[in-house]
Amino acid sequence: MEHILRSNLETNENNSPQAILRALSLVSNPSTSDSTLSSIAKILIISLENPNPNSNSHLFLHHHILRLFSLLFHHRPHVHHDVISAVRAFSLLPSTSTRSLADALACLSISDSNLNDESTFLYLVLQPCVSVRHWLLLNVSKFDIRPSVLFTVLIGLTKDPYPLIRNVALNGLADLCKCIVVEDENLIQGCYFRAVKCLFDSEDSVRCSAVRAVSACGQLIVASKQERSKGDWSDALFLQLCSMVRDMSVKVRVEVFNALGKIETVSEYILLQTLSKKASAATKKMNFPGQYSDKKFRIPATSASLAFLYGLEDEFNEVRESACRALQTLAILYAGFSNEVVNLLMVVLNDDSMAVRLQALDTLHQMAMSGHLKVQEAHLPRFLGMLLDSQSLIRFTARKVLKLTELPSLDMFKRCVDGLIRDLELYPQDEAEVFSALFMIGQNHGKFLVSLINEASQMIEPSSGGKLGYDNVRKASYLVLAASAPVSMKQQTCSIPPRMFSYAVTLLGRVSRSLADIVDQRTLLAYLSYCSRFTFVSAAEFFKMEEHLEEGDVQLTQRREVSKYHIWRKLQLKEAESSLLDFQVEHNKEINCVNIILQVVIDIWPSLKLGLTDEVTRTLRCLKAELGTISNHNHRGELVFALQYIDALERLGHLWSHLVFSKEFYFHEWGKLECSLKKLDRCLRDMRYKLIGLTKEDNFLILELIIANGIVKLCNMEACANKTILKKLHSMMSCIKHICGEESTESSNFVVEVQKSLSEIDSTNCPILDNPYLLLKSLEHFTPRKVVLLGNLKYMEAELRFQGSEFQNPLPFISGLPVGLSLDITLHNISSENSLWIKMSLEEKLTQFVFLDLHEIEGHDEPRKFTFVAPFYQTPKASCFTLKICIVLECMSDDDQVPRGCGGPKHEVAHLCEEKEVYFSVEVR
Amino acid sequence: MSKTQNSYIEPFRHPDHGELNSFGWRWIIHYNILPTPHAKVILRKQNKGRTKVTAVDLKQTVLVDKDLQIRAYYAGHVLGAAMFYAKVGDAAIVYTGDYNMTPDRHLGAAQIDRLQLDLVITESTYATTVRDSKYVREREFLKAVHKCVASGGKVLIPTFALGRAQELCMLLDDYWEQMNLKVPIYLSSGLTIQANMYYKVLINWTSQKVKSTSATRNAFDFKNVHSFDRSMINAPGPCVLLATPGMISGGFSLDVFKQWAPCEQNLIILPGYCVAGTVGHRLLSANSPAKVNVDESTQIDVRCQIHQLSFSLHTDSKGIMDLVKFLSPKHVILVHGEKPKMALLKERIESDFGIPCYYPANNESVCIPSTNYVKAEMSKSFLQSSLSPNFKFLKTISRADADFILNERTESFVQVCDDRVVEGTLAMQKEKQAKIVHQNELMVILGAENHEVQVAYCCPVCVSYELKDVALAPGENMPPVLDKRSLLHLLYTKLSNDFQDVTIQNDGDRLQIESFTVSACLKEKCPHRIHVKPDSTSEAVNFCCMWSMEDEKLAWRVISIMKNLELKTG
Repeated sequence: MEHILRSNLETNENNSPQAILRALSLVSNPSTSDSTLSSIAKILIISLENPNPNSNSHLFLHHHILRLFSLLFHHRPHVHHDVISAVRAFSLLPSTSTRSLADALACLSISDSNLNDESTFLYLVLQPCVSVRHWLLLNVSKFDIRPSVLFTVLIGLTKDPYPLIRNVALNGLADLCKCIVVEDENLIQGCYFRAVKCLFDSEDSVRCSAVRAVSACGQLIVASKQERSKGDWSDALFLQLCSMVRDMSVKVRVEVFNALGKIETVSEYILLQTLSKKASAATKKMNFPGQYSDKKFRIPATSASLAFLYGLEDEFNEVRESACRALQTLAILYAGFSNEVVNLLMVVLNDDSMAVRLQALDTLHQMAMSGHLKVQEAHLPRFLGMLLDSQSLIRFTARKVLKLTELPSLDMFKRCVDGLIRDLELYPQDEAEVFSALFMIGQNHGKFLVSLINEASQMIEPSSGGKLGYDNVRKASYLVLAASAPVSMKQQTCSIPPRMFSYAVTLLGRVSRSLADIVDQRTLLAYLSYCSRFTFVSAAEFFKMEEHLEEGDVQLTQRREVSKYHIWRKLQLKEAESSLLDFQVEHNKEINCVNIILQVVIDIWPSLKLGLTDEVTRTLRCLKAELGTISNHNHRGELVFALQYIDALERLGHLWSHLVFSKEFYFHEWGKLECSLKKLDRCLRDMRYKLIGLTKEDNFLILELIIANGIVKLCNMEACANKTILKKLHSMMSCIKHICGEESTESSNFVVEVQKSLSEIDSTNCPILDNPYLLLKSLEHFTPRKVVLLGNLKYMEAELRFQGSEFQNPLPFISGLPVGLSLDITLHNISSENSLWIKMSLEEKLTQFVFLDLHEIEGHDEPRKFTFVAPFYQTPKASCFTLKICIVLECMSDDDQVPRGCGGPKHEVAHLCEEKEVYFSVEVR
Repeated sequence: MSKTQNSYIEPFRHPDHGELNSFGWRWIIHYNILPTPHAKVILRKQNKGRTKVTAVDLKQTVLVDKDLQIRAYYAGHVLGAAMFYAKVGDAAIVYTGDYNMTPDRHLGAAQIDRLQLDLVITESTYATTVRDSKYVREREFLKAVHKCVASGGKVLIPTFALGRAQELCMLLDDYWEQMNLKVPIYLSSGLTIQANMYYKVLINWTSQKVKSTSATRNAFDFKNVHSFDRSMINAPGPCVLLATPGMISGGFSLDVFKQWAPCEQNLIILPGYCVAGTVGHRLLSANSPAKVNVDESTQIDVRCQIHQLSFSLHTDSKGIMDLVKFLSPKHVILVHGEKPKMALLKERIESDFGIPCYYPANNESVCIPSTNYVKAEMSKSFLQSSLSPNFKFLKTISRADADFILNERTESFVQVCDDRVVEGTLAMQKEKQAKIVHQNELMVILGAENHEVQVAYCCPVCVSYELKDVALAPGENMPPVLDKRSLLHLLYTKLSNDFQDVTIQNDGDRLQIESFTVSACLKEKCPHRIHVKPDSTSEAVNFCCMWSMEDEKLAWRVISIMKNLELKTG
């Protein structure tokens, strides 16, 4: 069968469509053997290489052959290198027509081989054939094109008469804008205004992608601006998008609200305008750059009027949903605006569409997480109605919001508890969730809870005959609430009858299941039974005492609600990563990559702070791996900086989360913690001293990190060694002050806060710091600063080599007599001013330093290479020993001096190379 | 045209819709989307004088005759309301009667494509009003109703036959469900039957919500709404009643009004607008409690509360502006509104969008220029060049106004333009079709030669010789070619110093700056030379300069420098 077909193909001069058809059926048949396929491929290659010049059908033929190849690559990706090379050769032929060339490229792109040709792309994209242009623009990522070139081509093509092309060009711009940095401001602004112009296109699809492009490009401009003009541009972008909310196309409207949600800051008066029809005095006068209509090139601030309201009232649920989502980030900017938004969202909770209701709840949740949700009496019926929704997802989200809501009055608290209990009555499957919600709101509203429980204690008491009727939903719920009642561990008092705790023990299994993420069953049992032995004091008395209590007395701390936010962040992250891979930045590639990665790292800091250490660590490792792939010796300094920065943040995050989130502390963790602290120390020291060419900004950043480290250390180790750390903190603060005073570098919130708490501590005049948590508060303000590396960092490094000392082949020595070590040393980026030492340590106990006087060493080339003989004096009385050797840099500007006995550096040292081991053994005669 | 017949349009007959004579259209469209039996009724009425009725569906394009095509777009407002796009030859307009830009509970917002239009004719009932959020309006209405029924009163809501009643029923029914109210809502019986019939047929015209639920349940089957019987007018206890007609001009709503108005507990909810002369209008203008004459013989003491409904099926001024902005036509005509308000809206449209706007009174004619396309052939080379992208970038300082960039110094930014159309030239010859040719072909087609105006001037430049050994008499023994070259080179270095912003080319025989060329003139008598008195102190060498008109300024700059030069050789 095979043979017949093969011969058929060959004898048919393989030109006829039938032959193609036959080949097609063979290729697409999964059971066709590889040998058949390769022979088919061979025949097809021949016909591709030798087109019949006389016939007009060769275009048709090429097209189909190339399509067959594509199919072949698709089905059997592993085969046929010769096919790839044939197609490649074909694509390089000058006689190949535009159409066939595009086909060939399409074929190659499937085979995963790099197309790697900017000029081909440019040649093809400027050809008359529209479909080829379209294909090229869709597959831009498969070509290796400089972003600047691609950018200009895409802007040019937004002028194309074909809407299809305009569409993809704008989409391409939107994608490109997400992963480039601004080099030519004029060009980016030109692009922005071009995209804005496209908002007035007559095609729906073009307007849709124009919205995307305007958003992305606008964000890029906003990111590149400073301070005042940043805010103005952000406002301008917001208004420009707002002018599109009444577009007739649903897709455009959805896209507009998606884009609005991405804007991070907008002036308050503009935001308020989006919900009201009355133009405030401030709004009336303001004009922003943009395009309001075909002829008007300024956009008035009044154009934002009612924008969000129209979105929330839209006929289509997609738009309403998107508008709700857009409010997520904006609603938490200003208190006034968020109150308005809460009012509106409460109405939206009535929506017919479940997706909209869910999104509204999500937005409320987001607001609650940032502490901007103020629920009023009037909202409650609607909101509690959500707890009884027929959709479990809605109920789930509503409970999540409730957990974080702060209720202003006892009455509202009671109604919420009632609502939850009704939820449980109607939907018994929600038990675990409801209990957990009850527990949370109980914890959040201690005072209300106490009065509620005391009122209802009669009901909870066992009925006559001593029977505990806790299968009753209501009773069980109250017991769960009771378990969350505030107690004072120190005073051993509680504000509710302590027997409630023992009643709660009867529900242990059910309660612990619902509180699984907070506490385990054993701890809970211990806690409940411990509390049940407390003495009961009246609520008034209890809370009076409570005021004097220390923070950190609450036993069952709650882990913050983060999942949704986290997912959202992660998505953003993914986006950033993938676009990073998609577009290789050619010019100054490494630096740009490093900068982008650093930006991503800064972006995920909030999740790290929320205690999502595992996820973030994973991402950071990915990023580090990404950095690892960049191997360029010209930019070693930047790479090292970035790696160390990520490292430092990761460790800091770890320590931080340990400090804030850890449920209990086991002694065996101590070692781990200490180790982590040490590593962070070392990492920061390296950053500070081993990099040359740090700007003030960079120095500031490092100092901030060091301070943060100091605080974490203080809090983790508490009493141990806090005096030196405090001293160090002070000295770092003065360094920062120095930097701030010298340059116009902005001081950060964090620094200001630390300064405050430090002076507070100083004023107490206490020799020992008794409450390091004062400082911990200021750590909340810590956010990593944005870094932009310019590409002129140098990294100090050294290489150390010996002649002939291996484990099997140790160096001879005589016990008690000095021994000389001949070292081959290479130094990178080290000047004679640096004081270098050779550190030789014998099993941690005995360390000897030898000063490396660089002035005496000849040769000033870069890198410096020389041989140095280092003497080691105190050879031990042993038959063999191992010496660890490395080159260290004395951190001269470090203030804390380390007392050391026999000479050696007076300051802390930073390692310049890995420790090497040298083996010695007594010479056997 | 009454409200109930809104499902067909007759642009000419509406008293305030202005004349369309300028378009020279004599057409009347009868458009009827209602099925039997309603359609038949209308057909019968209309057929007396006219000939033909055509039904048009949404977005369906109808060729009325060779020249005229029309297309209906969804307008919200009420069931069956439509906007019309009409095109005669190349001139296109959108005519819209009543429309609504915000969605209702049962109707969507108006929806139209972005079209190339010469004119938009739009209603302007609310030319200056900007409406509040739907939520706020609904809340107010529900609050008023709830308060009344909670205190045991009866609520009368006079409504128009179709649409509004359903809208209010949906709203009330939802609210009743939510608040778990048991007070009955009544709908006068005729309304329900009509509505159910229309809405089933016209499901396509309803909002997304109604459409999506229509498969599972009829959105107009209300749980809490019952049909009303006259005998129940005086039944005790609170209730809500929706009855026709809307402005209490007679009929059932008037009967109920007579019974309920004297009681203080009751509430009457009136629509936002009532025609003068109706009871509704009198109620709105009077202060409660007041005596209202229902007819000549009866006077009713109105003690009940009165609430004005702020829902409207018409769009507000923001809606009109948004529609105009979206369509961006070349002209706008406002109709169906109050004159002073229309004047205000006209101002806003003209200032915000720069679109000329008119609001003609009855019998007033407006002349609107319309688009007229000329068909032109394309030459092959122009076709070729216009197929491939040909964009270039310009740096512009700023756009229309100077203070373009906010709070920053004026910056330049890059603008992109595509030159492929610019490269074409429209050639129109007598008795031949117009043709677009590529600019390169133009000369060939015209059979003309390219003429250029060249200006020449022979400029004397002073030369001083600092010769060390031999003193030469002027004009003697000097090898002319070498001398010419070296002088030219001298000139070149001098000029390069002075003109650093332009590139000067020196090819040995002449210098070139843009189109300006300089070469040494060796002729005894040059026609371009203007005779000046020979300078006695130093020798003048003549340089012939040539340039084309566009570089005139540059040329005179160069020449003025050359005149003041002194070339030193040696």
